[in-house]
Amino acid sequence: MKLHPLSVPVRALSRALGFGWAFLIGGAALSGGNAALTGVAVLGVMVAVVAVVAYEIAYYRRFDYELTEDSLDIASGVFSRREREIPLRRVQNVDVTRSLVARLLGLAVVDVETAGGGSTEASLRFVSREAAADLQADVRTRRTTPGDAADAATAATPDAGDADSESRSAADRAREPTPVGERGELLFALSNRDLLLYGLLSFNPRLFSGIIAVATVAAPSLGGRMAVPDVGMVVLVAGAVALALGVWLVSAAVRVVQFYGFRLRRVGGDLRYERGLFERRDGTIPLSKLQTVSVEDSVLMRRYGFASLAVETAGYAPGQSPSGGSEAAVPIAPRAAVFELAREIEPVADIDLSRPPERAQDRYVRRYALAGLGVVAAGALVSRLVVSFPWYALAVLVPLAVPAARRAHATRGVYSDSDHVVTQAGWWRRKTTVVPAHRVQTVLRKQTVFQRRWALTSVVIDTAGSRSLSGGGAVAIDRDGGDADALADDVVDCTLLSVGVRGDDTAAAGSAAD
Amino acid sequence: MERLDARVVVVWLWRVLVFAVVLAGAAGIGSGALDVGVSSAAAAVAVFGVVALLGATHALLRYRIWRFDVREDTLYIEHGVLVRVRTTVPYVRVQHVDSRRGPLERVLGLGRVVVYTAGSRGADVTIPGLSRERAADAQETLRALAIESEPESGEGDAV
Repeated sequence: MKLHPLSVPVRALSRALGFGWAFLIGGAALSGGNAALTGVAVLGVMVAVVAVVAYEIAYYRRFDYELTEDSLDIASGVFSRREREIPLRRVQNVDVTRSLVARLLGLAVVDVETAGGGSTEASLRFVSREAAADLQADVRTRRTTPGDAADAATAATPDAGDADSESRSAADRAREPTPVGERGELLFALSNRDLLLYGLLSFNPRLFSGIIAVATVAAPSLGGRMAVPDVGMVVLVAGAVALALGVWLVSAAVRVVQFYGFRLRRVGGDLRYERGLFERRDGTIPLSKLQTVSVEDSVLMRRYGFASLAVETAGYAPGQSPSGGSEAAVPIAPRAAVFELAREIEPVADIDLSRPPERAQDRYVRRYALAGLGVVAAGALVSRLVVSFPWYALAVLVPLAVPAARRAHATRGVYSDSDHVVTQAGWWRRKTTVVPAHRVQTVLRKQTVFQRRWALTSVVIDTAGSRSLSGGGAVAIDRDGGDADALADDVVDCTLLSVGVRGDDTAAAGSAAD
Repeated sequence: MERLDARVVVVWLWRVLVFAVVLAGAAGIGSGALDVGVSSAAAAVAVFGVVALLGATHALLRYRIWRFDVREDTLYIEHGVLVRVRTTVPYVRVQHVDSRRGPLERVLGLGRVVVYTAGSRGADVTIPGLSRERAADAQETLRALAIESEPESGEGDAV
């Protein structure tokens, strides 16, 4: 199948805009008002635009995709050709993104993710909206989920005909011209009030770093104009407050735009989400590919009884997950609803977290007190070398180490049963991660020289999830040495048991040996 | 519990030596250029001595701590001087097994085995410094165990 014909002008335009501006601005700057040179620059722009259009037409003509019974085949490339075949069984996520322009033209981008490789495995830019929805539905129905595979294996002869006709009818149902939003069981819809709350409670630090970058450039010129030191200081402080407020509101607005109309549905064995005010995102996550489920709540969210939910698969490469964090996340909902939803997605028993031993808290007190003393020392240095200010006032930070340590102790914990490991950590943003035993890849016990003094060990439960690399993985921090060993052994045993490597009898023998 | 071949210390010491020479060179040039009141030669020798001593101690401790065990269902590894890490890799999670030999390792008759999983953190687990035969043997054993432990139902799919 071909891409949508309109993809040629849209792609060409978006590319030409990038090229064209660079040429135009660069050309204008270089020519410096010289009419002849400006003419050359304009000519250059026109040549570039023609080249881009020609390239996009060639791209369109040379791009071919086909969804077969068990794979998605894509042949593409203008100069160097690439033929790619993606087994549907290996597909992790299928995302449909429709930007504002694409929505007006009835177009959509389809991205298909598998666990391998660094980038998105297949990107169809652009197909018609209907084709995108069909593709998404067909991938879902044609993919044999591991659950089906297991059923088939127990039945010895996979009853392909039956399953096929069933999935067909599902696909046919999916193709019926019902509105895109009406299918499946609605698990969660974000109300406008909660959305607004989410925007206000979440703070995107990335925006802040941008403002700081601007401020460092702008500040010296501003400082030069403010000759009167006292007034200058007041203005600076007021400006900083206004800036922080502005950043907060902008980041809230960004969140609101990103998550407007968020809906989470369950369609067959898939989770399906939709969100976005201008750019609509619509993605599927097969529950059979789910790696971890985590509930997060910051101090503020907890204060008002809210929490958010994140679902992780191995599809996105680390750091590549589209902006707005984990995709099939419920950005904000009442805590009870979030836990209910988490249980529905991954049925975990009652979680009874055990905290690190008491001595860990003493360790945190010392650590935070040392950090506080460090701040005081830094303040003293700044006071002596740069601007004189009452640096000793910073000493009030040091006693705060005690409540901070208590809090750290109270937010770290672990729980494990035969099917799941649950870890909790996070001082400001507490994160409770549920790892199904059959998703565990390796178990690591880590002990730094500092931990060794206190006989504490951290247990890392590694999964194939994409967020683990950025420190978001499941870690049981600061366990007692013996507990850590028992936990690690337990988790490995449960993993082996749950993937069917080990029978129940050997497991019983193993636990008896403990 | 199995230990590494003692010859691996030679490989590590060689790396320490190279590192120390590079740092000493940098220190020598740096002190010459910045004119800190120390002769280039003295700075280079001092840096070389400190780095070589620390590196050699680290290499020896590393050898003393390194342990691994090919168990029934899992590969167990214990290593790390400053951060002690104990890794358990179920064979069913092994994606593929490499055996690698660098030039110096080949001269010494050593090899190392790298075990890959689909995980994100401990995705590749290396056992360095095995004798050539042991490395080949370990690779074969791990490969066989990984295939053998694969459940037939397909439930064990890593991702």
